[in-house]
Amino acid sequence: MTEEKIYKVQICTGTLCHVMGGAELPALEDHLPEEIKSKVKVKGMVCANYCTETNLKPPFVLINGELMSEASIDKIIHYIQNCEKNDTFK
Amino acid sequence: MNNYFIEIGNKSIQKNGQQVCGDVFMSRKLQEEGRSVAVLSDGLGSGIKANVLATMTASMAMNFTVENQPIERSAQSIRNTLPVDNDRKINYATFTILDIEYDGETTILEYGNPQFLVFRAINSLELKDIKESTDSELRISHFKAQKEDRIILFSDGVSQSGMGRADMPFGWDWDDLKEFISKKLESDPQISAQKLSDIIVNRAYLNDSLKAKDDITCSVIYFRDPRNMIICTGPPYKMDRDKSMIKILEDFNGAKIICGGTTAQIVSRELDREIEVDIFSGDGDLPPVSEIEGFDLVTEGILTLGRVSDWLENRSTDSINYKSPAGKIIKLFLKNDIINFLVGTKINEAHQDPALPVELEIRRNVVKKIAKILDEKYLKEVHIQYI
Repeated sequence: MTEEKIYKVQICTGTLCHVMGGAELPALEDHLPEEIKSKVKVKGMVCANYCTETNLKPPFVLINGELMSEASIDKIIHYIQNCEKNDTFK
Repeated sequence: MNNYFIEIGNKSIQKNGQQVCGDVFMSRKLQEEGRSVAVLSDGLGSGIKANVLATMTASMAMNFTVENQPIERSAQSIRNTLPVDNDRKINYATFTILDIEYDGETTILEYGNPQFLVFRAINSLELKDIKESTDSELRISHFKAQKEDRIILFSDGVSQSGMGRADMPFGWDWDDLKEFISKKLESDPQISAQKLSDIIVNRAYLNDSLKAKDDITCSVIYFRDPRNMIICTGPPYKMDRDKSMIKILEDFNGAKIICGGTTAQIVSRELDREIEVDIFSGDGDLPPVSEIEGFDLVTEGILTLGRVSDWLENRSTDSINYKSPAGKIIKLFLKNDIINFLVGTKINEAHQDPALPVELEIRRNVVKKIAKILDEKYLKEVHIQYI
């Protein structure tokens, strides 16, 4: 089972997310540490209106469907590393 | 009456060692009168002197023709005005005048340039309707162009290219030249006027072993249907207009661009088609492009349009990054003749937050600016429709 763990990271490509720091997120793949590199899949998504429908701050990403606000490359990596450590993969 | 779109392309290379070209080509669209005028003039010799003479000749020919002077009389006035070379007893510049009505009626006056060619599909036409002129050195032809016809003008730099070479002692053989063009048209029947003139001139330049022995010029006039595109940006002011926006897009015949995340979502929702984001297609500054079946391009909205406007205004077309999302839009603009903007007027309130690190303009203003540049700098026919 553990072999098939894949973290699907969806980056919002909306205007607001882009100007609020999302522009750097497509580079995530290049910054992934070796131990999780093969387990992460980076994708784009169209704006799902989290910026107008929640009070959270952009940029937004979804990691296996879990919403993360004010995302950064570091924050995403930490999140995935935590999941790995605590075995809370969803 | 069927009107054609008249696409004009021209390419010149100056004689080796010269700073400017002694061949001058001018064209002018008279939209209200439904006609275009084009003039090619070749000044005697080369360099600045030839350029000045050719420019003077071409301007005179252009202005006379635009003012609807009888074409033969204009030619005689020009010949009387031009100085005559002392040694050779010939006029200092040759010229060809084209007067083209949008329904295809074309009058061509030639003085001293190599004979023009007319290509219908891949065959060159023999024109019989040649008017006798009182001046034996003038040749006036008249014909009615059909769709997909091309008129090709040359300066003698083309026909004499390669002269002296063992394999082409008298220059580029007329029949070989025709066959060369014919083959190009066969392999690429939709070739643009600009591209065809580029290819012919480059080949002549090659005949001269990349050291042009004379100024080389080729102009192509291409009669065809106009190419249409539509660029849809922004959600309609009221949601109940979404369906009519989709209908306009669905019914449109030509290239289609969607500019804006929300707009793309409306299209995706109404047509029930998936949006596929290619996350790595951004250029660092601009968000990436997406794909929706049936559309040529789907991009982000305001940032991309802002960049398009900036590049159209401040860059030349050969210094644009065509891989960038903005460059992809510009590429489609340049390829099409009639550009329709379908602009949703709803304002995205999230973009008007003063806390944002960059200022996001209002879409309508950016579109107006782009439309103005396309109209004035790129001579496109532009329509804006608000919804």
